[in-house]
Amino acid sequence: MTQDEIIRRLLDFIAADDATESAFNRLALEVFAYQFENNSPFRQFCMQRGRTPRTAKTWRDIPAVPINAFKELTLSCCPPEEAARVFMTSGTTKAGVKGKSYHPTLAVYDASMITHFKKRFMPDRDRIDMGILFPDESAMPNSSLAHYLALAREHFGTGDSRYEIGETGIDFDALFARLAQAEKTGEPYALLGASYSFVPLLDEMKRRNLTFALPVGSRMFDTGGFKGQSRELSLDDFYNQLSTGFGVPRSRCINMYGMTELSTQFYDNGNAVCPSVKSGPHWIRSRVINPLTGEDVPDGETGVLSHCDLAHFNIVSTILTEDAGVVVDGGFLLLGRADGEEARGCSMAVEEFLKAADVAATG
Amino acid sequence: MTERAGYIPGLAPQDIAWQNLRFGSPDCALDISVPTLSDTQMRTVAATVRAGGRRLKTLPTERIVDIIDRAAAQLLDRAHPVRRKAEDMLPRITGYDAEMIRLGLTGYLKTFRKPELRKFLAEDFANPLILDDFQPMPKGGFARAFGPGILAHIWAGNVPGLPVWSLVSGLLVKAGNIGKVPSAEPLFAGWFAQILAETDPEIADCFAIVWWKGGDTESETALLREADTVLAYGGNDALSAIRDRLPVTTRYLAYGHKVSFGLISRAALDSRRVPGTAHAAAYDIVRYDQQGCYSPHVFFVENGGRISPEEFSQYLAHELSAFEKKYPRRPLSVAEAGDVAAWRHQEEIRSSAGGDRLVLGDAAGAWSVVYSSDAEDLTPSGLNRTIKVVGVDALADVAPRIAPYRRFLQTVGIAAPPAELYELANLLGQEGITRISALGHMTMPEAGWHHDGRFNLLDLITMTEIEHSAETAADTIAPYAD
Repeated sequence: MTQDEIIRRLLDFIAADDATESAFNRLALEVFAYQFENNSPFRQFCMQRGRTPRTAKTWRDIPAVPINAFKELTLSCCPPEEAARVFMTSGTTKAGVKGKSYHPTLAVYDASMITHFKKRFMPDRDRIDMGILFPDESAMPNSSLAHYLALAREHFGTGDSRYEIGETGIDFDALFARLAQAEKTGEPYALLGASYSFVPLLDEMKRRNLTFALPVGSRMFDTGGFKGQSRELSLDDFYNQLSTGFGVPRSRCINMYGMTELSTQFYDNGNAVCPSVKSGPHWIRSRVINPLTGEDVPDGETGVLSHCDLAHFNIVSTILTEDAGVVVDGGFLLLGRADGEEARGCSMAVEEFLKAADVAATG
Repeated sequence: MTERAGYIPGLAPQDIAWQNLRFGSPDCALDISVPTLSDTQMRTVAATVRAGGRRLKTLPTERIVDIIDRAAAQLLDRAHPVRRKAEDMLPRITGYDAEMIRLGLTGYLKTFRKPELRKFLAEDFANPLILDDFQPMPKGGFARAFGPGILAHIWAGNVPGLPVWSLVSGLLVKAGNIGKVPSAEPLFAGWFAQILAETDPEIADCFAIVWWKGGDTESETALLREADTVLAYGGNDALSAIRDRLPVTTRYLAYGHKVSFGLISRAALDSRRVPGTAHAAAYDIVRYDQQGCYSPHVFFVENGGRISPEEFSQYLAHELSAFEKKYPRRPLSVAEAGDVAAWRHQEEIRSSAGGDRLVLGDAAGAWSVVYSSDAEDLTPSGLNRTIKVVGVDALADVAPRIAPYRRFLQTVGIAAPPAELYELANLLGQEGITRISALGHMTMPEAGWHHDGRFNLLDLITMTEIEHSAETAADTIAPYAD
C-alpha cells in the first residue's frame, strides 16, 4: 500500500461510526504490514520478536514497541526529513534525548482528534468560549499538546476563545475578568490545559479568596498529570478544587490521556469518581499486559498499558507504555507510571544511578 | 495471623500505638504490627537505652561476644521457635524463595559465632581490651575506646537479617542502640533483639528496635536529635534527607546504594573451568535477586580465551535457567516487572539497531542475559536476574570505564590467576573498589569485612586518652607520693 492509500483508508475508517473487531483487525494488520515494509528499525525489532505480518493473525500479535524506543530509533515510514511535522516528548530523562514522532501529514492526526474530541468533550454543542492554559503552537512547535489545543480552539472555540498563558505565565487579572464575564453573561465556558497549569491558578484563586460559579454547560479539561512541574495533588483533591473553584461539577471535568507516541486520545466521562474510566474511539484498542511476557494480565489485575492506534500510521501503531492500568467495564483505569518504586535492597537501580552519575559529572 | 515487630524497652506494649502492615498473598495474608512511637515515647526509649548503654560499658567485651554467640546459636538451631518463625515468615514478607532464605540465614548467622566475632574485633583493634579499659599506648599514656551513648541505625531494603550486622557492631563497641527497621522487612532485627535480651537480661535495655513510616515524622526527628552517631542505609536522596536534619555535631555514617560487577580472565575460559565459573557467577546473580550492594550487574569477560565472552554468556544463561527451577525468582510487583522489561526492551532495541549484541532470556522474563562486544561503561542492570556480559580485550581496560562511577562502586568478583588478581586489585582499588571476592562469594562477605571499605567498629568509637602528663601529675598527688 502507498502512503496515500493508507491515509485514505484511515480517514474513511475514522469517519465511519464504529468498527467491528474484524474490521479493526483487518486494517491493523494492513497498517502493520505497511510499517513493517517501510520502517526498517521497526522491521528489525519485529524480526527479533519473531513476528512478521505473515505470522500476525490479530492486532494483538503485533509487537508493541516500548516508548523508550522512540528515543533510540528513528521510527518513520517516510524519510524523516520529509515529515511535515515532528512531535517530541517533553521528557527530561536520558540526558535530554527526546522521543520523536514523524508525521508526513497531520490529516489523520487532525481527523482523529477532531472526531473524538467532538464526541467526548463537545457532544452537546458546536462551539464554546474557551480559555487555554498552555502555550500556543508558535511557542511550542514540537508539542503535540500545543497542536491538539490549537485544533480544539480552531474547530470548537468561539471567536472569543483565547490563550491565557503568555511568556510570563498566566495573566491572572485577565483570566479572572474573563471568568467573571462568563458568570455575568451566562454563556458556558471551557477552560482547557495541562493539569499542572491549573495548580498555580488554583493557588492564586485561594490567595485572592476567589471562586467562580460558571454557567451551566461549562466544562473543564485537563491532561498529563503534574509531572513534577507543579505540586502533586491527589486526583480527588484536584477535582474538588476545580469543582468548588469554578462551580463546575466534577462530572463535567474531563481528563484526556494522550501521548506524543499516539495520534489518538482517550477521555473519561467526567471525574465524579477517581480514578475515572478511560476509553478511546473505534480506531484504537488497548490491552493491559505483563510487560515481561507481553501476555494479557488476568481481568482485574494491574499491568502495563499497550495501545494499538491505527492513526499513528507513519511511525508505529502498537506501543508499550510505561503506564500502569487495569481493565474495567467500558475501558481502563489509569494508575500512574509503572516505576519509581523505592528500591528494595541496597543495589543501585538504573534511574538512581543515572541521576547520581549526572550529579557526579556536573558537581 | 499477626506478628508483632520491634523491641521496645522502657514502654509497656499497651501504651504503644501499633500499626498494621500486610504482606503475603490475599489468600494467605500475614499481618505485621509495627510500633509507632510519639516524640515523647521516643525520648523515653532513648533515655532507657542510653542508661542501658552506660551499664553495657561496664561489661567485658568477651561477655558481650558470648551473649551474641549464644543468641546466634539459637537462631542457627532450626528447631528453635524463632528460627521456625523466620523460615515461615521471611519468604512471605520478602517474596524470596524459602530455601534460598534458609540457606542465607544459616550462612549469615554463622558469621556471628564467637570465633568470627573475635575476628571482627581483631580486624579493627590490635588490642580489643581497649574497649574494656585504658590500655597503654605506644606514644605514651593510656587510651580507651568508647562507643556512642546512642547509636541510631536507619536500616533499609528487604534482604533478610541485614540489620543484625550493624546492631552487632554497635553492641561490640558497647553503644546504646536504637534501630529503625524498614517496612520491607520489619521482623528479623526485633527477633534478634528479643533473643539477645532473653539470653542475658543484663543487656535487655541496651537496644531498641523501632519503626516509622519512611520520610516521617516526629519520632524520626526525636531519634535524630537524641543520637550521638547515626548510621544509615538507603538511596542517596533518603541519605541526604537524613543528613540535612542532623545536628552538625552528630557523627553520620551513610551507606548508599552501590554497584558491583565481575571480571573473568581468559585464563578461566576453557571448557573445563567455564561451567563452574558460570555457575558461580549465576549464583551471585540469583542470590537475593541482585538486591544487594554486592550483587553483580555486569560481567566483563576477556576475549582470547578458548571460550569466547559470547559463549560465556550462553553458559551463564543456561545456569540462570537451571537456578530458576531450583530457586525461582520472587514474584515482582508491576513496577519491578516494568523496570526489568524496560531494561530488556532497551537492550533489544539496541541490538535491533545493529552491533554485535545478543539478548537471551526466557519467555516469562524470569532472567535475561545480554551479551555485548561494545566498549560499554558500567551501568546497573534492571535487577531481578538481569545481567550484561561485556567482552573486553584486556581486563585492565575496565578500570577507566568504571572510573567515573567511583563513589558508587563496591565489590568485584574475580576469576583470574594469582598474578593477575593482584595486578587488577591494585587498579581496582585506585578506582574505588573496596572488596574483591571469588565468583560465587560476592553476596557473602566474610566475617570482619570492611563494609564499603570502612572500619565497622573503629568508625563508631571515640578514643579517650589519658596523656602522659596526667599520669605524672597524678603521681605527684598520690597518697604515697614522697
